Amino acid sequence: MRQKRQIKFSRKGSKHEARVGFALGTVPMIGFALFSLLPIILAIIMSFMKIKGFNFNNATWVGFDNYIKLFQDPKFGKSIKITFLEALALPFSIIISLLIATLLNRKVKGTKAFRTIYFIPFVCSVVAVSTMWKWLFEEQFGILNQIREAFGQAPIGWLSDSKYAPWSMAIINLWSGPALGIILYSAALGNVPKSYYEAASIDGASKVSQFFEITLPAVSPTTFYLLVTGTISFLQDFTRYQVILGNNAGPNNSGLTMVFYVWQMVFKYNTTMGMGIASAFSIIIGLIIGIITALYYSTSRFWVSYDY
Amino acid sequence: MTIDKKKSKIINKRVADVFTYIGLVIYALVILVPFYIILVTSFKTNSEAVTIPFTWFPQTFNFKGYHTVLFDDASGGAIGVSTVLLGFGNTLLTVLPTTLIGLLTSALAAYAFAKLRFPGKNIMFGILLASMMIPGIVTLMPSYLIYDTLYLTNTFFPIMVPGLFGGAACIFFLRQYFSAIPDDLIEAAKVDGVSYIGIFFKIIVPLSVAALIAQGILWFLNGYNDYLGPYLYLWDADKYTLQIALMFSVGLYDTDWSAVMAGCVIALLPMLILYLFAQRYFIEGIATTGLKI
Repeated sequence: MRQKRQIKFSRKGSKHEARVGFALGTVPMIGFALFSLLPIILAIIMSFMKIKGFNFNNATWVGFDNYIKLFQDPKFGKSIKITFLEALALPFSIIISLLIATLLNRKVKGTKAFRTIYFIPFVCSVVAVSTMWKWLFEEQFGILNQIREAFGQAPIGWLSDSKYAPWSMAIINLWSGPALGIILYSAALGNVPKSYYEAASIDGASKVSQFFEITLPAVSPTTFYLLVTGTISFLQDFTRYQVILGNNAGPNNSGLTMVFYVWQMVFKYNTTMGMGIASAFSIIIGLIIGIITALYYSTSRFWVSYDY
Repeated sequence: MTIDKKKSKIINKRVADVFTYIGLVIYALVILVPFYIILVTSFKTNSEAVTIPFTWFPQTFNFKGYHTVLFDDASGGAIGVSTVLLGFGNTLLTVLPTTLIGLLTSALAAYAFAKLRFPGKNIMFGILLASMMIPGIVTLMPSYLIYDTLYLTNTFFPIMVPGLFGGAACIFFLRQYFSAIPDDLIEAAKVDGVSYIGIFFKIIVPLSVAALIAQGILWFLNGYNDYLGPYLYLWDADKYTLQIALMFSVGLYDTDWSAVMAGCVIALLPMLILYLFAQRYFIEGIATTGLKI
């Protein structure tokens, strides 16, 4: 009798449990449907339309016209090239992160204070940091040119010369980029068992080979994470370019990243290009990111190890 | 022989320590010096700011830049109050409720995914994980058109409402955290007749306060520093958030570098203070967020 009642109770409970669980899990699903799925479907539809202004009132179906126009547009290829060149800062940023985290992991006195300082760029707003660098790069009075002049060298147009502007932007990326990696690598390095290194040094392995044989594989999940998330955000970088170089993307479009060009199509060239072709470009950007992410995942089993 | 070996080991460690310090200090300077430069510039008169050579310490401390930024109505009198202060208010007004409610819905969903059995659970969680990979640029323009059609542009709606449904990354992290809470505790509460929602508030939440604060702070940080959303959707000066107000002032004061730098300091300071006091949560929130993707 007692046994029976308990079974009854748990069965009733599990039905109720399913209802509560489903309700709680559905809330983010609604958000996903409204704010991700619906816009994605719309973006695909919009990429086949010519849209004037900011609504569907004057929209016409143009088929693959937008995509064809994109591939004929020299600025399209240029913006892809610029974005990928700028994204080259990512591997350097990851290397700096690992280097600094390795130093922090030696646990000398004051490590905590250093870690606090290194993470600061991560909590700063892009607008403020970009404005700060705009001042440092300022051609006449900025500190960088003043330092150059102090060493007897001619000032250069960090942001106004199309030869230097992309490099200046990369410097900013290198300055603010490593903050996240330093924190993540510090946590990962702290989790590597000391006994691995002890065993390796008894076997006579040098510090350098210990780094490549133990440390690198042990932190490979972090490297993978930084590479995936870093690529996704680098390939969509836009804000700092707009804040620093202005709506025209700098001298000779030298800071025109892919997303920046999408923005220009909508807001600067609305009458000639507009949201239709911009949607087509955004779909292409999405595909580029998807393909690269898939490549990372498919190669990950060769170099990412979760065994540590 | 062994003593010599020990000695040389100690010396090696000393040398390594010295090089470690050199590396750490140089990198710290690389991070801090730019901040120092904006700070001193913000205290200079504008004529000193554009003096060659650069002065590392202001000749006279001057607060005009701060006064300009803090008390000027940059819209030319249209809103009657300081653009930056109003921007700060608007930021708090839009970010705080979204953070709190979004954190609650995220935590409840994470609890369901971690501890409750219901049909479709794995599929739903899979969708959520996949949604983290969607590049924001793809959804940007259609979202804009939807809001515009619904007359919701130039309102706080687009920057507030999506977050209320919870964030995928936050749910993912909290689910991992909640999974570590022993099922025995939950079973015992069930036997005592506590409801499922009751279990969340009485058992899950008290055991995960640190994780919840860490996620809340991360969410607040992203909202506070958000630029693209407010920039796209808010056009009237009285609706500007802090970042947009800062951007607006930068354009307005242009070559008045001490005012521009004062604006930067004002925009950075609240978050830096929060960071210094709640550092543990910032770093915890980051260091443990979804490393296995």
